[in-house]
Amino acid sequence: MSDLDSFAGPIADAALIVTCGPGGVGKTTTAAALGVAAARAGRRVVVVTVDPARRLADALGLEQGAAADAPHRVTNLPDDTGDGELWALMLDAASTFDRLVREQTASAKQADAILENPVYRAISGSLAGAQEYMAIERLHQLHTSGEWDLVIVDTPPSRHAIDLLEAPDRLIGFLSHPVYRTLTVGQRAFAKVTNAAASMFLWAVRRLAGPQIVEDTVEFFRSLANIEPGLRQRAEEVSVLLRSDDATFVVVSSPRAEAIGEAEHLIGALRDGDFPFAGVVVNLIHPMPEPLTPADRAALADLEDGPLADHVAWHDELTELATSEREEIMALADLAEDVAVVELPLMPVDVHDVEGLVGLAEQLTGDR
Amino acid sequence: MAVVAGKGGVGSSTVAAAFALAAAREGADVLFVAVDGRPGMGPLLGGRELDANDRILRRLKGAGQVRGRTIPADQAFGDYLELKGVGGMLRRAASAASLPMIAAATPGLEHLLVLGKIKELEREGAADLIIVDAPPAGHAAPFLRSATGLSDVVQSGPVRDQAVEVDAMLRDPARCLAMIVALPEETPVTEAIGLADELRGEIGLGLLPFVVNSCWSDRPGLAKSPAMAARSHKVTLTPAAKQALASSAGFGRERLERQRHQIDRIRTELGLPMARLPRLATPRLTIHDLGTLADALAEPLLEPGP
Repeated sequence: MSDLDSFAGPIADAALIVTCGPGGVGKTTTAAALGVAAARAGRRVVVVTVDPARRLADALGLEQGAAADAPHRVTNLPDDTGDGELWALMLDAASTFDRLVREQTASAKQADAILENPVYRAISGSLAGAQEYMAIERLHQLHTSGEWDLVIVDTPPSRHAIDLLEAPDRLIGFLSHPVYRTLTVGQRAFAKVTNAAASMFLWAVRRLAGPQIVEDTVEFFRSLANIEPGLRQRAEEVSVLLRSDDATFVVVSSPRAEAIGEAEHLIGALRDGDFPFAGVVVNLIHPMPEPLTPADRAALADLEDGPLADHVAWHDELTELATSEREEIMALADLAEDVAVVELPLMPVDVHDVEGLVGLAEQLTGDR
Repeated sequence: MAVVAGKGGVGSSTVAAAFALAAAREGADVLFVAVDGRPGMGPLLGGRELDANDRILRRLKGAGQVRGRTIPADQAFGDYLELKGVGGMLRRAASAASLPMIAAATPGLEHLLVLGKIKELEREGAADLIIVDAPPAGHAAPFLRSATGLSDVVQSGPVRDQAVEVDAMLRDPARCLAMIVALPEETPVTEAIGLADELRGEIGLGLLPFVVNSCWSDRPGLAKSPAMAARSHKVTLTPAAKQALASSAGFGRERLERQRHQIDRIRTELGLPMARLPRLATPRLTIHDLGTLADALAEPLLEPGP
């Protein structure tokens, strides 16, 4: 088996793997299976998941709620795993943001001022791109902790999966907004903000959303100013880290035309942005039935309704679908000719236990 | 107004388009609104790519028509300010350039502005039926929840008024209903049941029949082996034909059994009428395919509700 049919390389060597792709294609399952493969290769690995399906979360021992935000060891791996360790956690955007604020502020008092602000409480989970950015932020936290050989991050499902790559730049863009700058640079009291753009902004917020939110907003932006240099530097570090030799991206898709279209778009963006790209996993592929010979096909034409007609119709339907899926995959494989492309069949049941993940892991490393 | 919602990848945009076509066939003047539309919805309905202008996509002979548009948040914002008689300075201050800042300070505001604009269209009777293709993935519930959520942070002012009015529309089944779309597979069904509970409970939305998209046609004959099946047709199969048919039958039995199981789950856990849309073998849909889906969708929608 050649390197181009497996992810054995990055599983053995990479320090960071980011899985991305359209929704509903088994991205989280793939991230978990890459984690299982790395643990079986003797590495200490942590998988950061976003919104996993309930049964997969159960398989990884992740409980619902805040407790899942801390790494949790997956203990039921097969005996032949050796020294490797698999840990998992569920991303919680709000508590990752809190952690970032605590880390970046000079004192606990300063941190509390931000964390207790009602505007901060409301936006920390929902700021544009916050989930995407926090996935990357968590990756950075875990990577720099030095506790892990490999950090695997599953990204939020997104129609615009590209948001993830732009998230650090978007945060910097937000912090560079002229209104934000004038609000935070001037140390005068709110009543004396004389800059026209800033005062108009505050006036608009007051008129639209009422006076009490204005003070919270100003206070929030002011306190954010204390941590801004840190945030800005962090965003730049993350941007460099994602393009370093330590990191690599895996695109996950299904063979449906819409998913393939999004995957192609994502591959283009990875290449344009100079991000390291390990390859593509095409998941959920329907099996191709054995063909009917032309003679048999002729003999089976024009059957009356009945069980054999059901068999022939089903055979035709599955063949047609499997054929069109293979055409879509060919188009994608052409685009990804210099990287790994691993094709995974549709399983009779969704992967929901460690045993299923081990099976997937073997296919991702080319052991099966 | 009807909101069509489902997790990413279940085809809810396509179902919304089929719904628009089905209603237009019954004579309705339908407005299709894409909130975070995937490209290609305008052409699929037979017109141009959607933009912020309300355009006719398709006229049906002797029946209704389908119009389509998008609603960008910044435009909804401007329209709203104008409607409230907010002029000059404030409108400039609140222009598109500072919308991201204001939106950051008031979470959910962009969603609320878009819902508010839809509410205005509904109130002025812009169409017989407004079909809203809701944002995908995990975003449908936050989108619809924006009105309720904002009132916790904002306690006065026009934004509060807007939130209250949108909330009233969503809770009134005579004005607004939601259609939930899922695939007949375990994870999507689990998520759709969760979404249904959330929309009904937390937001107070009334629900239309539940749509199960991409259903395989049932093939009861697969329960027999190919040889047994051939016997009841008084046909003898060659060994090669037997093997070819057997190679697809095993997978088919498993697949169809799982589909039946998931459809039963929806029936018992939700207690909603259901529309089953056929799985279409073509990877890229045409307007003809959309007609097939509209036929399947129309059936339970035209029946009187329970």
